[in-house]
Amino acid sequence: MKHFKLLMLMAMAIGLTACQSKVEYGDATEVETVNENFGSTDLQAITDKMVDSMMTFPSVVALTANSRPIIFVDSIKNKTSEHIDTESVTDSISNKLLRSGKFRFIDMTKVDSVRKQLDYQNNAGMVDPSTAIKFGRQIGAQYMLYGNLSSIVKQDGSTKDVYYKMTMRLMDLETGLIEWSDEKEIRKTRSKSFLGM
Amino acid sequence: MKLRRFRCGPLVLLLVLLQGCAYNSVLIAYPTQLADTKKALNSAEPKATIDKLADGINSRDGLLYAEEAGRVAQIAGDFAASKDFYQSAVQDYEKFDDKAVISLSDVGAKGSSLLVNDNVIPYRGPGYERILLHQYQALNYLFSGDMTGALVEVRRSNELQQIEQQRYESSSKTVQQMENGTVSAEMDRLSQASGNLTSSFLSAYSYYMTGLLHELLGEANDAFIDYRKAAQLAPDNSYIQQDLVRLAKALQMPQYDDFRQRWGDAPQPGANQGKVVFIVEQGFVPYKDSFGVPFTINGNWQTIALPTYRENYLTPGGDTINGLGTPLVTAPVVNIGALAITALKEQLPWILARQVARVYAKSEMARQAEGRDGQTVGSVLMQIFNVVTEQADRRSWLTLPAEAQIAHSYLNAGNYQINLLHGTTEIQVQRGKTTLVWVIDTGNVTRFYTRLI
Repeated sequence: MKHFKLLMLMAMAIGLTACQSKVEYGDATEVETVNENFGSTDLQAITDKMVDSMMTFPSVVALTANSRPIIFVDSIKNKTSEHIDTESVTDSISNKLLRSGKFRFIDMTKVDSVRKQLDYQNNAGMVDPSTAIKFGRQIGAQYMLYGNLSSIVKQDGSTKDVYYKMTMRLMDLETGLIEWSDEKEIRKTRSKSFLGM
Repeated sequence: MKLRRFRCGPLVLLLVLLQGCAYNSVLIAYPTQLADTKKALNSAEPKATIDKLADGINSRDGLLYAEEAGRVAQIAGDFAASKDFYQSAVQDYEKFDDKAVISLSDVGAKGSSLLVNDNVIPYRGPGYERILLHQYQALNYLFSGDMTGALVEVRRSNELQQIEQQRYESSSKTVQQMENGTVSAEMDRLSQASGNLTSSFLSAYSYYMTGLLHELLGEANDAFIDYRKAAQLAPDNSYIQQDLVRLAKALQMPQYDDFRQRWGDAPQPGANQGKVVFIVEQGFVPYKDSFGVPFTINGNWQTIALPTYRENYLTPGGDTINGLGTPLVTAPVVNIGALAITALKEQLPWILARQVARVYAKSEMARQAEGRDGQTVGSVLMQIFNVVTEQADRRSWLTLPAEAQIAHSYLNAGNYQINLLHGTTEIQVQRGKTTLVWVIDTGNVTRFYTRLI
């Protein structure tokens, strides 16, 4: 009986330690496979592929040889069946391109804030007119970067297969020509474990 | 005496455990719990019971309470809160999807259901509920102005329709023929009550809604595919036919001539006209009742309780919308009551099998409690316990509407005062745009939600 009690106490102690929640720092570029949904590893894979592809593509290399083209990033259309923050994907891509020093960017998501600020500088009567930035002095973008993210999901019994395809293009706004285009495919398969909680 | 006390032990333990379940429909039938909520929805204070429902989200039936709370918030027009509740239900469903093939917690719940009743098993709704969940979530996104989010939910709903169809096809192969006369008779009656519906999850409503959202958000080709499926499921709905003819013409589909000959050419909008689309949801989906099936074990008669639906739920006629110049009559697109009945009919063989196993387990427990010297306190308690806990699983998403109807028309731009069922509202029509009017009627109160897209 004594042994039994001891055993119970030990079992309880073991059981309770497992209940403690724990926080750990991890590597941000580590492969993440919590579930089959769109995750950080997919975002990083897409960004790396797109940036590498664009920077090494002959016609883009020629474009950036003597000048730094001005690009604006249109939103990436989310055509998947998941709520994905596609702005985060475009942010990562434009960030890498900008940091290469070969491109300049115009941020279309901040146009309203800029307009408000210029309006304040020019019309509020608070700012010295000689230092106020005038309307109509910004430089127009020459290229548009845009894309689509689509997915095909299939499920049968305990297997689920998710296929993502990200397509990106760079368009010359003056001629309408596509200067560069590429796609990144990702396939993930999840099979259920046979035994578990 | 000592021995007897020991035998009462597990029983006392079970009763103590059940105390905590009082809210979880193990002892109180679920429709009784939801009566207040439905009454509140039919009054000026629709959200009176939402806190109580939200408390239930942490229980074993969290999925069901999240669905109910989401729908209550939605009917009340609080789309942001509804989105959060539905999101929690979606996550619960995903947890079920991720569960191992043999899950220990499932085995545990099924095991305790052997001693108590089916209400102990965590709730996992029938296929049509899960599809409707995403459809309503899409409407939440749409009415909060997030078109991309709405389309994501629409695609999920489409995916689920495919997955549920596969699951249905594989499960219907293994349905055993039932040999109990009372149950077979009940199944026949349910078939008739649902108008002999063939599928419990495919509804023209879901396909029409996904088609409509695809079209409103500029994906006409996807809309055409969904409208075609909707037309197959609701072959008499003239509004879906018009949509199909119109899109076939616009997309230059080869089926255009065939559709035009069958249903006539679709009306085209005038230069100064906009489109109005009505979605009218009425009533509440029927709740499950229980019926007894007599059974013998060891020569003793026992009764087992099984869930069923009482009345006939045949599709009613259309409603008239006044105030648009000529009256517009809606056409039925789904009868959710019939879907619910068909879903239950498909599940009955498994429910019966579990119930029979339970009767054996309980009679075995009673026999053990009886001991050697005949009737004892333990045995009597056991009998009472068995009678009290022999309850059918009557849980289902009860704040869903009983049926839905649609109508659409082209109107000159301007404002219109419309009259429908128990309410009236003003809608705005703009040239070249679509006004979506979502009408929810709970019996005495009619609520209107409009959005110009």
